[in-house]
Amino acid sequence: MTYALQTLMHERSRYAAGVGAVLFSAVLIALQVGLLLGLFELTSIPIDHSSADLWVGGNHVESVDLGRPIPISFVGRLNKPGVQSPELYYLNFGNFTKPSGGYSLCTVVGTGLTAGHAGCPDVLTAEHRQLLTESLTICVDQSDLGKLGLVGVGDHAKVNGKEVRLVGVVTGIKSLAAPWLICSQTTARELLSVVNPAYTDHVTYLLARCDDPGRAKATAKELTAEYPEMSVYTADEFSTKSRMFWLLRTKAGVALGYAALLGLLVGAVITAQTLYAATMASAKEFATLLALGIPRRKIYGLVMAQSFWVGLVGVTLAYPMVHLLGYLAEQAGGRVVIRWEVLLGAAGLTMTSSLLAGLVALRSVKNIEPMSLLR
Amino acid sequence: MPSASSNPSLRSVRLERTFGDGATRRVALSGVSFDLYPGRLALLMGPSGSGKSTLLAILSGLLNPDAGQVLAWEDGAYVDVWALPQAEREAFRLRQVGFIFQGYNLFPAFTAAQQLEIVLRWGQNASASDARRRSHAVLEGLGLGGQMNKKPAQLSGGEKQRVAIGRALVKGSKFIFADEPTSALDWENGKLVLELLRREAHDHGATIFVVSHDSRMLPYTDIAYHLEDGHLSEMSRSSLGELP
Repeated sequence: MTYALQTLMHERSRYAAGVGAVLFSAVLIALQVGLLLGLFELTSIPIDHSSADLWVGGNHVESVDLGRPIPISFVGRLNKPGVQSPELYYLNFGNFTKPSGGYSLCTVVGTGLTAGHAGCPDVLTAEHRQLLTESLTICVDQSDLGKLGLVGVGDHAKVNGKEVRLVGVVTGIKSLAAPWLICSQTTARELLSVVNPAYTDHVTYLLARCDDPGRAKATAKELTAEYPEMSVYTADEFSTKSRMFWLLRTKAGVALGYAALLGLLVGAVITAQTLYAATMASAKEFATLLALGIPRRKIYGLVMAQSFWVGLVGVTLAYPMVHLLGYLAEQAGGRVVIRWEVLLGAAGLTMTSSLLAGLVALRSVKNIEPMSLLR
Repeated sequence: MPSASSNPSLRSVRLERTFGDGATRRVALSGVSFDLYPGRLALLMGPSGSGKSTLLAILSGLLNPDAGQVLAWEDGAYVDVWALPQAEREAFRLRQVGFIFQGYNLFPAFTAAQQLEIVLRWGQNASASDARRRSHAVLEGLGLGGQMNKKPAQLSGGEKQRVAIGRALVKGSKFIFADEPTSALDWENGKLVLELLRREAHDHGATIFVVSHDSRMLPYTDIAYHLEDGHLSEMSRSSLGELP
């Protein structure tokens, strides 16, 4: 065991503040990113609840909710070996009139409704799928009922001026702003063509499965190269692209960056102060070593090693803490996405700040003079 | 005890040192010259504030004099300690000088053996096993064989000071400087510390320079000096008394 670690273990209470500060920084960063990723997960819900391997949309689609109509005739372009028969997928904003009056923005999602359809959301039961085959019927998420002024199944409302009926309430497709209205392709075409006549012979996306899902990425690349006026993404790519678009568009990333920076600063200052105080508390012992001719750089090395261990212990303790707080947030209805990239990033940032705090604390070593022992 | 005709190991030549300016100016050392010999335990006495610690600091290379020289015998020649660049002076201290202070200044987290090992590992880049072997040998010699793995909180005051002596001796220092080494101890433990220092001088030829105001130490010393008003004088042999 190194001298630094031994000192840390022996004087646990002294170093606890530093370890706590590192822990706080790491947990703050990881949870903030996790909460934000969880929040923006809502923007890619239609993709994440489908089983399509390929999503084909208009040129430069930034996010799944921002697709523009493409001709249905593009179906022929997907006639390639290894690509299964494409299906039509409608997705566009609509104007929702609540039963009691008043308006809300909504997103109409029209998809094939058999269990075999790639676009059919996995949250629908067989009964929902059957009911949605009736004209002008919709399903919504439980959490969006209030936003839409609906009470339950059987309620009537209007979308783009056309009357619709609620036939099912599901969970798992919560919206960020505009509630998702799940319906059949026919219903979607009827609702959307009111405001955009193109939807009579156009569609928002073409969805397809691949015989070998591992080939989806390569197929998407080939199709994009062949037809530059189409965007072709794998489901994973499109999901990430949608989330990142909203993360950056809303400037939430910037807010996150500032908050994380603040957390790091607070952590670094407390760690530096802890190390400074701990070094000063051992000033007489260090002064004795300096008197004996021990080079000062050895003591610098010890302080830096201590800052390393403080960082490592803090980051290690942060790991279960992030999972625990994430779990508690989920229990409270929040969504926290804990990804290893985020954990690694948070660990790297806090370790770096801990080492920087160590550098700041080196000032204390500079001030130690052996002569002080003789006064 | 070696004969007085052997070469002095440490010579102080017309050392001057003052502190402060104007009305607050105080002369600590005024032309102090004397020689210390290997194999002898020398004691420096004097009233509080007489400059005893200042002289110790200058002789040991910790505090620069205003004028004068400190010449240390090393490898067949005298080294002018205060003419050396700082890095070389620190290297000289590392090779030749050990300190014992009034406070024990032991790391609370380390065992007795580790207090010595760190000096060898950091000062001489000794391997862990070599540092352990040498530290154990020194502590055995100081009667601390059973206390090697105890931390300072588990040691008595006398034991702690013996560990501090071990730390000063472990790197094979030729010059040992001790500032009030017994003032925090009862007389029984104080005597033990003095006997150990005396043995180090007589058996291993070390030059030991002790600063104290405790006259009970006199019988344990080979030579004693008195410092007052910046002037140093050698105390008469009869004033040292006999060992009990």
